[in-house]
Amino acid sequence: MAYTYSKIATYTVGSGGIASIDFLNIPQTYTDLVIKTSLRSAAASVNPGLLIKLNGSATGFTGRNIYGTGSAAASYSDTSGEIGILAGNSATASTFGNADIYIPNYTGSNNKSFSVDSVNENNATSANQYLYANLWSNTAPITSIALRSGGSVNLLQYSTATLYGIKAEV
Amino acid sequence: MGSVSLKYKSKSGNLTAPGDVDPGAMIPITTTTLSTNTASVTFSDIPQNYEHLQLRVMARANVLVSVRNITLQINSDTTNNYYRHYVVGTGASAVAGSDAGTVMFLGNATGTDYSSSAFGVSIYDILDYSNTNKYKTVRCIYGQENNTNGQAAFGSGLWKSTNAINSITFTTEGNYSFMQYSHFALYGIKRAGA
Repeated sequence: MAYTYSKIATYTVGSGGIASIDFLNIPQTYTDLVIKTSLRSAAASVNPGLLIKLNGSATGFTGRNIYGTGSAAASYSDTSGEIGILAGNSATASTFGNADIYIPNYTGSNNKSFSVDSVNENNATSANQYLYANLWSNTAPITSIALRSGGSVNLLQYSTATLYGIKAEV
Repeated sequence: MGSVSLKYKSKSGNLTAPGDVDPGAMIPITTTTLSTNTASVTFSDIPQNYEHLQLRVMARANVLVSVRNITLQINSDTTNNYYRHYVVGTGASAVAGSDAGTVMFLGNATGTDYSSSAFGVSIYDILDYSNTNKYKTVRCIYGQENNTNGQAAFGSGLWKSTNAINSITFTTEGNYSFMQYSHFALYGIKRAGA
């Protein structure tokens, strides 16, 4: 396999939780970025939003999604910086969200479009699958990414996030 | 043309000789393409030294329907530990559903109602598969297309166990065999520092 998929950094949340997982000083040497997240937060809901800051900014985000709840399919648009979902503390204990955040051309000088595939699970009839198309209307290269939970609560112990860099070729 | 023996890049990150490669973070562990119709496919003795797993399946089932659910059984667990939720688009509408049982229904195979060269495609991501503090959530994008019919789907599955995943068995709903040329690939994805 070609040298196209490189691990940059992994963060595992310790006991007590943490408000935000921050990837700083992101190398500018890749074509795209991928973040794989397995997150659970203290939010008192099943599927709180997954929020993002790019370069420290929480503004300029718009997005649209299609989602399923286990019984219905729907769609909405968002301007709050919600880019996906994770598992909240009302979801079945020991379950964590599962998401891929794909950011192509993160060093480019255009606005940044990125996609998020995110799910959570629950041993009940209701669980959620969200596909997001997101836009950050900012032309700056992305040098830092912060991930946090909706509801201004901590991400819980054992949550993980790993940042990968994708190269078109060596 | 002579062959070149591929070697991993050195720890320092320098290529040491022509033909040397850095395998990167995503490593192919096992790949199987069926030469005959086969009832099930099992990945066993899955290494525990990765952070995540990805499975890519291209499958066709030997049953006269357009599409058939793929089923997963993890660590040979046959108890009621599996849940599945999904949203699917048909080209005309979108619907959602859920189920639970002794296997995880997730992903799809085409049936023989589709043209013989049409296969269903399913990509599964299992994060923190060896983490014993977590129940295992599977994320899957899947679909099939046959010129006039098709579906695009996004689903999640829960294996309600904190055990590390060391084997995964694929069958089809109703245990119809996977047909020749169905393809199954398992990848390991490393964490930083590994």
